[in-house]
Amino acid sequence: MIGILEAFFVFLTGLMIVFLVRHYIFTLTVLRRARKAQVKVQYGKSDYEPTVTILVPARNEENVLGRLLQRLTEVTYPKNKMQIIVIDDASTDKTGQIAKDFSNRHAFIEVLQRRQSEGGKGKTAAMNAGFGQSKGEITLCFDADYYPQRDIVENLVRPFEDPKVGAVQGRVVVLNEPQNTVTRLVALERIGGYRVDQEARDNLGLIAQFGGTVGGFRRSLLESLGGWDENILAEDTDLTFRVALAGYRIRYVGDAECYEEAVDNWQAYFTQRYRWAKGHMQCCWKHSFSVLKSKKLGVACKIDGLLLLNVYFMPLLVLISIIVGVPLILLHSSPVASALWFSVPIALYSFVGNFAPFFEVGIGAHLDGRQRIQWLLPLLVFTFLYNVLICVKAFMDLLGSKIMRRNHSPSWAKTHHLGTGNYYIADSPTKREVLP
Amino acid sequence: MKISKTLLLILYIELIVICLFGAFRFINPQSTITLLMFNFLFASLTFQLKGSFHRKMGLLSAGNIVGLFWNFVFFCFSLEGTMLFGKTFVVAYTIIYPILNLLWVVPFWSLSLSFLPKFQNSPAKSGCAT
Repeated sequence: MIGILEAFFVFLTGLMIVFLVRHYIFTLTVLRRARKAQVKVQYGKSDYEPTVTILVPARNEENVLGRLLQRLTEVTYPKNKMQIIVIDDASTDKTGQIAKDFSNRHAFIEVLQRRQSEGGKGKTAAMNAGFGQSKGEITLCFDADYYPQRDIVENLVRPFEDPKVGAVQGRVVVLNEPQNTVTRLVALERIGGYRVDQEARDNLGLIAQFGGTVGGFRRSLLESLGGWDENILAEDTDLTFRVALAGYRIRYVGDAECYEEAVDNWQAYFTQRYRWAKGHMQCCWKHSFSVLKSKKLGVACKIDGLLLLNVYFMPLLVLISIIVGVPLILLHSSPVASALWFSVPIALYSFVGNFAPFFEVGIGAHLDGRQRIQWLLPLLVFTFLYNVLICVKAFMDLLGSKIMRRNHSPSWAKTHHLGTGNYYIADSPTKREVLP
Repeated sequence: MKISKTLLLILYIELIVICLFGAFRFINPQSTITLLMFNFLFASLTFQLKGSFHRKMGLLSAGNIVGLFWNFVFFCFSLEGTMLFGKTFVVAYTIIYPILNLLWVVPFWSLSLSFLPKFQNSPAKSGCAT
């Protein structure tokens, strides 16, 4: 019995060490790249200007939609090559009216109004409806609470010049970071995830992850894939793997920055991460085998892809390894268990947000020129412990629905945005100095 | 100037070696493992950032001193605890020992990065959308 427990413990800690080594390699990769190029220019100037459709799904987003649409009218990409489709998914507030006002003033903005009978079936359903009306060669997606840089469209479309590129992902930066501790910790997670993880994956030719927003696809590819899968909660991860399995590359463009209004309380954090965790686990179930047997993915891509698909199981496995490891140490089973016990606490500081270890987040923050936010690194342990709860609940619910053969009924599982991010926009009337 | 820098470097290296030896000889092998892990992460990652080599060596040796002190305090605490509570305390201490060590590793790591010069090619600003 002890032998089985010990073998299981060795397996779990081995898996953690694999994750840690992976992130260590990511950190080293980004560091080397940063050293080589002090001024980072990922893609040079280009005349490539395809037609672009921007999809903005919105359901009850009156607090933030106007801010995004105003910004999209200010982007530097030629407006005659842009089509913006706001999908008002049966909103009960002023979302539709705001979209219509912009549409009346700007010819390139269109509104797709979905009635109560057809709307409310989730972001993916809304995206599919909008995609049906899109005309651009490239389809980009922005959530209503985002605030892009003016040159974001050209930055995002440039990688598509390469016909092997099927999708792109831009960088997400937290807009309301100084609001409170939650937003600061989310900002740290985002830094680890985007500044290091995504950039390293792109540099190493691995599968960069499409994050559902601030990114886009080649229209022809998305059509051939049949658009968004409405039965998956993490439609972004699902599309990431469908694109990769189709043999296309997903590029991460760190220069294409967009600001998001992050969740600002633990309740909203739980809801958001629960959705991500459950959706990711669904994707793991759906794609793991296909990734393993794919002939279009290299060995490194397969390993990284599998680790990426399993990432939301890690907090759960850390919990199990503690439960298994403690009795082993109590029983003084073997020196191997005691030695491997060291990896468990490191994991406590490792699987937060986009599952970046503390050293990766710290380096990411430093490379971003952030001196003060990195002092909050020790607090990430609490975020991790919270993530354990979230992932356990997501796993149990998913397991329950699999056993009971309950199908997920698509609906909007969105974060309520209050528009607090407006306060941090430099040219907003409520402009204020933010921390360096 | 060059000689003093070389002497300083030798002092830093000596400090690190003394800390490692002291941890192994007078505390326990686990504390040496922790210090080695810290040294490995710090040297392989932080040394690639901007900033003078001497400053990084200074931070690394400071980290070793902090680690040695921390481990020594908890070692004394564990001896006292064992005398008071017996074997139960030893087991509890073994379980929480690595966690206690991360309590100095992570904050020291995060603080030491602020002693290095800022990286200038920063694409992301502090929540300030311009």
